[in-house]
Amino acid sequence: MISLRTDRRDVAAGARAMVPWLAGIVPFGLVIGVSAAQADIPALAGWLTGPLIYAGSAQLATIGMLNAGAAPMTVVAVALIINVRLIFYSATMARHWRGTPWWWRLAAGYLLVDPSVAVGLDGYRRLGRGRGHAHYLGGAVLLWVSWLAAIGVGATAGAGLPASLHLEFVIPLYLVGQAISKLADPAQRRATFAAAAAALLALQAPLQLGIALAIAAGIAAGLTARPAGPAQPIRPLQPSTEVPR
Amino acid sequence: MNAWTVILAAGLGSYLFRLSMIVLFGRTTMPAYLQRASELVAPAAFAAMAAAGVATACMSLGVAQAAAPLAAVAAAVIAVLRAGSPQAAILVGMPVLWVTTALLPS
Repeated sequence: MISLRTDRRDVAAGARAMVPWLAGIVPFGLVIGVSAAQADIPALAGWLTGPLIYAGSAQLATIGMLNAGAAPMTVVAVALIINVRLIFYSATMARHWRGTPWWWRLAAGYLLVDPSVAVGLDGYRRLGRGRGHAHYLGGAVLLWVSWLAAIGVGATAGAGLPASLHLEFVIPLYLVGQAISKLADPAQRRATFAAAAAALLALQAPLQLGIALAIAAGIAAGLTARPAGPAQPIRPLQPSTEVPR
Repeated sequence: MNAWTVILAAGLGSYLFRLSMIVLFGRTTMPAYLQRASELVAPAAFAAMAAAGVATACMSLGVAQAAAPLAAVAAAVIAVLRAGSPQAAILVGMPVLWVTTALLPS
């Protein structure tokens, strides 16, 4: 049963469990808002990537590639490649949501992203199925509100700041930070270097196809690395080290 | 297809991904190689976009001014490796970019 009236404490507990994630998420939202404000697309369109795509790195790629003049189908393809992991999150939550009403699956599914899955799974593990729904909702709604607010603040502030600050370089630096922090794992290291090299080689490719090719090259290179051990269930990373990708 | 329809299409596709296993199949297992590939998408995408972004920024500047973004990236890499936090890239890289841009001849 989904009874939120009796589960207010679990909703609040879910929201509290999301708070540590916000330390990493809010700055990322601000960066995306700034990039949307600096990009050559309508400001509202940039902000709408938040509620519509609702996954940080796919939003970043969409805004950046639209700004660079990429072909529309290339932009959509790259955003969806980046978001393929959502299918795995969907599979992860399916067992907890089997038999729930359609409206719940449509609404709760919309809120699926790395931090909401992490907080939600923890709730189902500790509280069981019924109370776990309220726990998931508390965390996921707080994340959604915070994410959209951060993008809005970033877009508003970014539009008013002078060009001499070179805020357009915040995005490459953010991406450099994320890429460098993933070098410990052999497969991810191989994927990182291969993708970076392919992106540089394909820099002159038309319609920004180079990015799509580079991602494919990175994945292919990473798959050639020997797995570290038995396949682990896909899991979101820990708070403060990761953001809603 | 303009920016609005691109964002709408990417959003709709992402929503269908989210619903896929919940609504259509209810399956909870996926092939292991697909799972491994999925875990590699983020590092590959971050690295590809970072490399292309830095290279594009350098090419849009003159030879002398291109040293500024390169210095910022180098400082960011060192900062992340030393601090162990990806946030250090922006916190260190942007000030280095501002200082080097101001010092370099235009």
